[in-house]
This record gives sequence, structure tokens and C-alpha cells, in this order.
Amino acid sequence: MRNEYPLTAAQNMHHQWIREYGTQQVSGVSIVASLKAELDFGLLKKCIQLEIKRYGCMRVRFTKPDENGKVRQYIIKHDPRDIPLKDLTGLSLDKADDEMQQWAYQTFDGDNRPMCEVTMVKLPEGYNGFFVHMDHRLIDSCSLVVMINDIMKLYTHYRFGSEYPEDLADYEQVLRNDLAKASNEKRFLKDKKFWDDQLDRLGEPLYSDIQGPSMLEKARKDHKNKKLRSADIERKDLFVAVKDYVLEPDAAKGLIDFCLNHQLSMTNLLLLGLRTYLSKVNNGQEDITIENFISRRSTHDEWTSGGSRTIMFPCRTVISGDTEFLAAAYEIQNVQNRIYMHGNYDPALIRDEIKRRYKTPDDTTYVSCYLTYQPMPVKTDNPFIKDIPMHSKWFANGAATKKMYLTVSHTENGGMNFSYHYQTASLTEKDMELLYYYMMRILFKGISEPDLKIGDIIKQV
Amino acid sequence: MDKLTRFKEIIAQYCQVAAEDMREDMRFREDLGFSSLDFMSFLGEIEDDFDVELDEERLIDINTIGEAMNMINGLQGA
Repeated sequence: MRNEYPLTAAQNMHHQWIREYGTQQVSGVSIVASLKAELDFGLLKKCIQLEIKRYGCMRVRFTKPDENGKVRQYIIKHDPRDIPLKDLTGLSLDKADDEMQQWAYQTFDGDNRPMCEVTMVKLPEGYNGFFVHMDHRLIDSCSLVVMINDIMKLYTHYRFGSEYPEDLADYEQVLRNDLAKASNEKRFLKDKKFWDDQLDRLGEPLYSDIQGPSMLEKARKDHKNKKLRSADIERKDLFVAVKDYVLEPDAAKGLIDFCLNHQLSMTNLLLLGLRTYLSKVNNGQEDITIENFISRRSTHDEWTSGGSRTIMFPCRTVISGDTEFLAAAYEIQNVQNRIYMHGNYDPALIRDEIKRRYKTPDDTTYVSCYLTYQPMPVKTDNPFIKDIPMHSKWFANGAATKKMYLTVSHTENGGMNFSYHYQTASLTEKDMELLYYYMMRILFKGISEPDLKIGDIIKQV
Repeated sequence: MDKLTRFKEIIAQYCQVAAEDMREDMRFREDLGFSSLDFMSFLGEIEDDFDVELDEERLIDINTIGEAMNMINGLQGA
């Protein structure tokens, strides 16, 4: 008889989005990883099949939803599937990316079925590799990178005789531990108190929009409530576009060095840049909330067990214009550190509590910006392939549950990539251009003059 | 298992240093490579494992294994 488990809070976050938006498309995650090298596709197929055995999260399936829409998960022991090979060499690299983008839009509909697909690909310009398309309830970006690196290690072991990769942690065991932690009542009450205290202290959050106060003003009119503090969520037109901006290595080094010299984490510096922009375009609003994604991977087992551990928590700060840039960064860091300590809490409960206290209207939100910082590049330390040019690319699933979702990652040459995913229903590429431009102006002004007050930075940029 | 050994075993889950090679003057961030997330997650686990409640305002003062152990001993009245 198989063991069935409930979803963790992180999995449930994606599951709820699927239910709210009525499509599994919002939970798709896809990436291509390829090398500019001839590959033995027979061997690569064997390695991918072996990875499915090693990495338990690839064998997770879900039961049929019950009457409340809840599903349970189980891990099948064997999944002896074929791994298809697709030849895209007749296209340009851009066109091949367009083709794979279409694959990323595919949905995993139904229950008790595989929730991941791996396709080997022959790409233009001599690149060869594989495309992975999965449901986010099975995997997040960190565990996808771990998986890609593990497949590469298996390949180089069998191809070149390198050391066989160490075993990965058992997904099912880590899942059991996570569920046990989540049911620790003492821990639950401590975490709940932390989040409740924040609301006791600061009251109801206040929406801040990328485009300024007009969205909140519109919501106030539509809801006939002049004091409304939340704005409507786009539910119908979920189409998402992506705009990437690359910060050159020298400039990126400036940000990294500032963090190192002031014992700041990059996440907190980015949060400061983003919140200051929101403050700037919202008439100096001091109370700003940004949803920040946390990987929740710290132990060896958490790093190598796969699964979806990334979860978002609201980073809410009230920072006055008289606060110096560095002091504001430390204020955010203090808030974030405490959130990390209470990161096992289910963020859905925070939203429930806010709704209970302030009667937040359905389908409204306090947040327009979401941030993920990925410190780990999609780059292998495998000595057999580390010098071979690599083409890797994340593909948007085509349906955004969030108005603007910024993913910041490091590029292979030491730069940083700012990838803005935005709902086209209300945002345009021009909005993203402005956001990136001012974020950079704010950050570089701040790191060059950390004693400058936030209000002065807003005026000067 | 004594308290210090258990404490080091938990730390070892978060870093590349084996429990038996840990010294009390080792710093979490600089010597053991803890990120902010690692450190705060670790403290949460310590709270649960040792059944203590850490003063969140004082956590910034903890830099080394010895300082963390002292704080736990103080909270347990040892």
C-alpha cells in the first residue's frame, strides 16, 4: 500500500494558485540546459532515467482533488519512461528558444499522472542538452539546478570516468520531517505570535503599485470605500511577458562588494531598491510590502532532496524619508532575519489573519511586487564540462498570478540578470524599463553615499 | 548524548565542517559559511530541539558556537 502525504505549505501555495486561477499553467516551471559539445544521447537518456530513480521529487504524483479541492501526494517507486529526443537544429537559437517556450505553456492536467517531462534536445550552433518541464509543486528553481548538475555528473561519470555523484537526500524522508515540523504546536504558536505581533504593531498593510497611486484610487472608487488599503487582483487576463536586463560585471561587483563590506545580504539590498522605487512613485509612501521568496534550504538534506521548498513571505517595512540608506538596509535585514526564523509558518495563514482582522475584500491584494533572489547560478562546477560554453534558459509558464515578479540571478561572467515577469493586462515594457532604471539609480546612489537619506535619494534620482 | 555534542551535530547539518572538528571559537558566518537564512533557520531548530525560547533582540550578539551554547545554557539555567 502506498504512503500518501498532505502538501507542505510551499506546495500548497502553488496548489492554491492553480485553484484560484483555474489552470495548472500557473504552476509550470521549465528550463533548458545545454552544452556546446557533441553528446552521446543514448548515454544521456540513461542518465536522465537514472536521475528519475535518484531524485524522488520527479516521481511525485497527486491524488484526485477531494470535495474541498485538496490533493495528497505520493511517490511512485518506478517510473521507467522513455526520454524523447527533439531536433531543433534547423532553427536559429532564438527560434529554438521560441519553440521551447511553447512547450513551457503545456499543462499537466488530471490526477495520478506524471507531473514532469524531460526532453533531450539538439539545438542550433552545436548546443545539445535537455529541456525540463515540471509542476512547481514538485520542484523549485534551486532543486532544478541541483538536478541539472546531478545529471551532468552522472553523464561525465559514465562518459569520462569522473567520480560517481554522492547520493541525493531522500525526498520522502525530508517531506516527513517537514510535515512533522509543521505540526509542532509550540513552534506554530511562536510563529503565529510573530506575525500577529507585526499586525498589532503596524495595523493593516497599504497597497503600493508600480505605476503609482492610481490603482489604489481606482479600487477605492470601484469598492466605494475611500479608506480601502488593498487593490484588485487581475484574475482574467493572466498573460505574462518577460523583460530581462543584465547588469554588467563591474557594476554587479559594486553591489556585491557593498554587501560584503557592510555584512548585508543581497536580498535585503534588492528589497531596499525595490521598496524605495515604490515609495518614490507613490508620493513617498512609507509603509511598503513586497512579497519575497525564501528558498528554505539550509541543511544538506534540504539542499539535495529536491521538492518545492520556496515560499513567499511579506516583507513589510515602514521606513521614513529621514532614514539613511544604510540604516534602512539594516532595518530590512532585521525584519528579514526574523522572518527567516519563522519561515516554517504557512503564509496563507498570515493572509487569512489579515482578512479576518481588516475584512479585506475578496480578490484584492496589498502587494504589487514579488522578488526572488537566486544566489546560485545555473553553472556547473563539474571539472569535465566547466569550460564548455553553456546555453541555459528559464522559460515563463505564460500565466502570471502576480502583477510583477522580479527574479534576480547571477550570470556566468559575474554580472547580474534582472528578469521582470509582468502581467500585460496593466503593465508594459516601458513600465519595466522605468522600474529597472530607477532601481539601479537608487541602488548606486545609495551604495556610493550610504549616509544619504532615503528621501534625498528619491529626490535626486 | 551530551548537550554540546548534540548541538554540534545540528550545526554539522548546515555546513561542511564535521562535528568533531568544531571549536567553540568558530564563527557561524565567517568560519562555517552560514548565510542569514541558514543561521536563523538553525536557531529556530535549536529552540525546538533544546526547548528554549531565544530572545530575538539578542540574536545579533551571537557570532560563535561558544556564544550560542552559552546562551542556551543560560536559558536552561545550566
